[in-house]
Amino acid sequence: MTRFDIPGAIDRRAFLAFGGLAVAAAVIGPAGAAELYGPKPTGAKTGGTLNMGLLVEPPGLDPFHQAADARIRLTVLIYQGLFYESPEGTAMPLLAEGFDLSGDRLVYTVRLRKGVKFHTGQPMTAKDVAYSYNYIRDPKNGSPGAGDFAMITAVEAVDDATVKITISAPNAALPMTLGNKYGGVVPAGYFDDPEAKTKLNQASVGTGPFKLSEFKPNSNATLVRNPDYWEPGVPYLDRINFIFVPNAASLLVGLRNKRIDIATLARPQDVKQVEGVAGLTVERKPSFNQKAIDLGAELKPLDDERVRRAIALAVDKDEIMRASIGGLGNVIGTMVAGMQDSWGAPADKLANQKVDIAAAKKLLAEAGHPDGFDLTLTTIIGYDWMDAAGVILREQLGKVGIRLAIQRVELGVWVKNFQSKQMGFTFNDWATVPDPNLLFYRHFHKAPEGADFRNWKNDAASKLLDEGRVESDPAKRRDIYVRYQQVMAESVPTIMLFSADHVVVRGQKVQNYDQHPTGWYYGLARTWIS
Amino acid sequence: MGVYIAKRLAASAVTALLTSIVVFLLVRSVPGDVVGQMLGQTSDPVAAKALREFFGLDQPVWRQYANWLGRVLAGDFGTSWTRGQPVMGMVGSALGVTIQLAAATLVLATAIGVPLGILAAIYEGRAPDRIVQAFNLLGLAAPVFWIGLMLLVGMSSSFDWSPPLMYVPLHESVSENLSIIALPVLSLALLQAAAYSQFVRQSIVSALGQDYVRTAVAKGLSTRTVFFRHLLRNIGIPLVTFMGLILIQILGGAVIIESLFALPGLGRLLLSSIETRDYPVLQAGLLVVVVIAMLVNLVVDLSYRIIDPRVRLS
Amino acid sequence: MNASSVDPTFRQRVAKHARRLRHEPDLLIGLVLSSFVLLVVLFPGLFAGHSPLAVNVDRAMEAPSATHLFGTDDVGRDVLARVVYGARITLSICASALVLAAVIGGALGLLSGFVGGRIDMLFGRLIDVVLSFPPIIFGVMVTGILGPKTTNLIFALTVVYVPLFFRIARSGAMAEAGMIYVEAARSMGLSQGRILLRHVARNVLPVILVQCMVLFPLVLQIQSALGFLGLGVQPPTPDWGAILQQGKDYILLAPWMSAFPGLAILITALALMLVGRGLQRRMDRR
Repeated sequence: MTRFDIPGAIDRRAFLAFGGLAVAAAVIGPAGAAELYGPKPTGAKTGGTLNMGLLVEPPGLDPFHQAADARIRLTVLIYQGLFYESPEGTAMPLLAEGFDLSGDRLVYTVRLRKGVKFHTGQPMTAKDVAYSYNYIRDPKNGSPGAGDFAMITAVEAVDDATVKITISAPNAALPMTLGNKYGGVVPAGYFDDPEAKTKLNQASVGTGPFKLSEFKPNSNATLVRNPDYWEPGVPYLDRINFIFVPNAASLLVGLRNKRIDIATLARPQDVKQVEGVAGLTVERKPSFNQKAIDLGAELKPLDDERVRRAIALAVDKDEIMRASIGGLGNVIGTMVAGMQDSWGAPADKLANQKVDIAAAKKLLAEAGHPDGFDLTLTTIIGYDWMDAAGVILREQLGKVGIRLAIQRVELGVWVKNFQSKQMGFTFNDWATVPDPNLLFYRHFHKAPEGADFRNWKNDAASKLLDEGRVESDPAKRRDIYVRYQQVMAESVPTIMLFSADHVVVRGQKVQNYDQHPTGWYYGLARTWIS
Repeated sequence: MGVYIAKRLAASAVTALLTSIVVFLLVRSVPGDVVGQMLGQTSDPVAAKALREFFGLDQPVWRQYANWLGRVLAGDFGTSWTRGQPVMGMVGSALGVTIQLAAATLVLATAIGVPLGILAAIYEGRAPDRIVQAFNLLGLAAPVFWIGLMLLVGMSSSFDWSPPLMYVPLHESVSENLSIIALPVLSLALLQAAAYSQFVRQSIVSALGQDYVRTAVAKGLSTRTVFFRHLLRNIGIPLVTFMGLILIQILGGAVIIESLFALPGLGRLLLSSIETRDYPVLQAGLLVVVVIAMLVNLVVDLSYRIIDPRVRLS
Repeated sequence: MNASSVDPTFRQRVAKHARRLRHEPDLLIGLVLSSFVLLVVLFPGLFAGHSPLAVNVDRAMEAPSATHLFGTDDVGRDVLARVVYGARITLSICASALVLAAVIGGALGLLSGFVGGRIDMLFGRLIDVVLSFPPIIFGVMVTGILGPKTTNLIFALTVVYVPLFFRIARSGAMAEAGMIYVEAARSMGLSQGRILLRHVARNVLPVILVQCMVLFPLVLQIQSALGFLGLGVQPPTPDWGAILQQGKDYILLAPWMSAFPGLAILITALALMLVGRGLQRRMDRR
């Protein structure tokens, strides 16, 4: 049995032996082990109200039933899981203190942090932890996170401070899965009340550093400091007003005129509009998000691999990135920018990354489309980058004879098409937490184990994904995922275009906000106002 | 008069009912619903099914409608699917914002438009008239949202000032509230003031040509008496109708202006409930809009009679 | 065709109308502006030297200059070209919605007014449903729910304006139905349908045509407002409202992206308003 004792920071050797997640930490280097929620400030003052402008209003604040990224960004401050997703790719203990792993790597015995209280005032015990994870992993309860927890077969409370988690097959990504994207620990029996789901939008029942104070539609969500928070001395802010601003024009004007203290810009190129304004600081951070073109094989002629390769060869990712986000990001191959160092395949090992019009035309001719063909690109309303990117893509594909029509749809319509695997040729915009299994498996493994939204049905890729999930040796695991990415680049179920940087604009009084690469607002738990 | 009001209300109720059916069928005839949005792109079908059952979306449309109608008739508009708040409260507070916006706009538009219209009528065909007419034309031709946008940028670049973005109700802070609604009200009021002044000018000019005014002048009544006793009364009725029309127009214009200036009003609530497919909020919001429009029309018709008892209600 | 073959009375009539224009400067200005807009719609190539769709990322958001009179947008397209080609898109949508509304509303109104009874009741109720919405809210509802497509936009605008034409045609038909000539036609044994067509429609048609002109600027306002909310024409097709919608996010850096399409709407609405008003006035005088 391996024992992981993690007092505050993680034992790197233990993780190297276990999950391979520490590769990233080794690469990032000198900073050493990451700190929870970002670096602790020196000389921080407690108190004050922070006004943060949000362009996307969270559709709800229920971490169990609401998948929207706009929800996650906020609720990570309110609800906590057992582990924290450090930017370096390690799963740091959060409500857990450490865990023991059985020899067959199927049973995790997790020791819980003591002295944790819910926002309701009651103390957290193992019973609450078991309840929360058992609730979310049962698909009948309707959580979008249920699929992520499918490998868990049982969660039991051993005593007040210990839970035992059993999984069906070794899975190197389990601790990362027990993070903060979905769910979190809530009091046992919370969802027994049929109205409980919707009540989460009015009063929070988490253990996080902030409590929900009010959530007014089309206006604001206000969080206040949790006085019973288990980490001593934090958070520093008394109150955070998340103000929902319906358009970038008002947001930028608000930043200039100090109506807003801090905002992350959805479109990095907006930076130009606030650059040079006295009293505003702009910071760029790499991200885990990716903008991609998906090629659903259910749409003819995208079922022909040669056609997909031809499209990949016609796409100039850099030009699309410059047009859609003003170049403020990183062109990527098959891995999001924030994880390229730890998990990405080197660009020179990937096929179909360089523009080659002649080769693309040849492939199309071989596939029986010497004069090209008509294709419809679906973009999502409200995703600004897609509008500009669509225009550029149309020009690029035109060079190989593909006549592109652009169809904009509502998010709801798009999601429905996506889930029913009828998405065809579309832009996609998604983010991940720092683990390749969580990034790739569900999207690209063939059904029924994965969802295979693009009808890729690739056996070689699926086999590699299975191997990568089980493998615990970090070097071997990395090698498996590099080979997987080569398959993906060769067969082109998707074309990953670029990761847009997170761009944070803040006023001078805002101190120590560190943007997490997920785009979530963890950093506010360490922010203070001077 | 009581019978008349009752009849009108009954007719309005029928129209409101028809409207709610049309809206109900419309929103359910398109792909995509709240569950798809909640669960995102990689969700589990079992989870989706469970949530659809929770919201009653698995039932036939007619039964969903019957359930909804039953609850509404009992005074319960339900709970927002995305917010968990009572729909009544959400619509109510949004309506408060929009009504304040509309009322302030109406006051400002009247204060600018009526004097301008009278001025133009008095100086018909001369320079002041020409200037007012030019203002009217420009005010009516410029898109409201464009004026709003230009005001926002103009204020920011010239005075380094922009309205606060977090809405504060009037009763919490008068100054804060006023600085929030000043620009939206101004953008809306310019158009309506133009419409007003145009209308007042025309009413007076045509009334001046009519017999009763000529007679009054011939009888030797002072200009002021003629103006106030005869003219204003006779343009009063059309003016009230016009006010009603304007109020309904402001309600429409508010949708766009609220989105531009981040006001949590009814228009923005409707837009966001369409986006998130939050049906209970959408149904209730639209119903409120329709009922308000009908009430305004009814009040306009009734005030005919109060202003001028000669009008028979039929 | 030589001049002598033109009916002299026709020439006199034209000359008379033209002479009267001198006393109506507003109508004259309106006609000149409208002709200009029409020219832009018919021959956009004369006014724009660039393609409205050609992208040039390296020249994004350039201020107005000799090469780009209205500057360039966020992906380097020529704003002048977009505004010029947008005229055709924007105005044809408004015009088709108006024509459809006039045809449908007019036909239903004539039928309703002439036949009366249950059909009249039914139509009346349906019209009430539409009328109970402020036009923009109705447009937002239809395009928001059905999805932002040009066809849905035209559909929404059409439905919004059907009631107005319905009412005009209905009251016209009801008034005409009692007229002596209709009675006479009926007694002469002409069928009901032909009576409707030949007599009633001919008398109501001019009213409806003038109404179209009067309503055009209003339709334009609503069309562009929906475009501004992102519910109208979809990119990359140039449409005034849609250009404004994209431009507003760059308002601090590139205000020309918003200023010029807005001015285009303003000028067009102004031109149409002046013409519509002038026509209405002449109509009232008759």
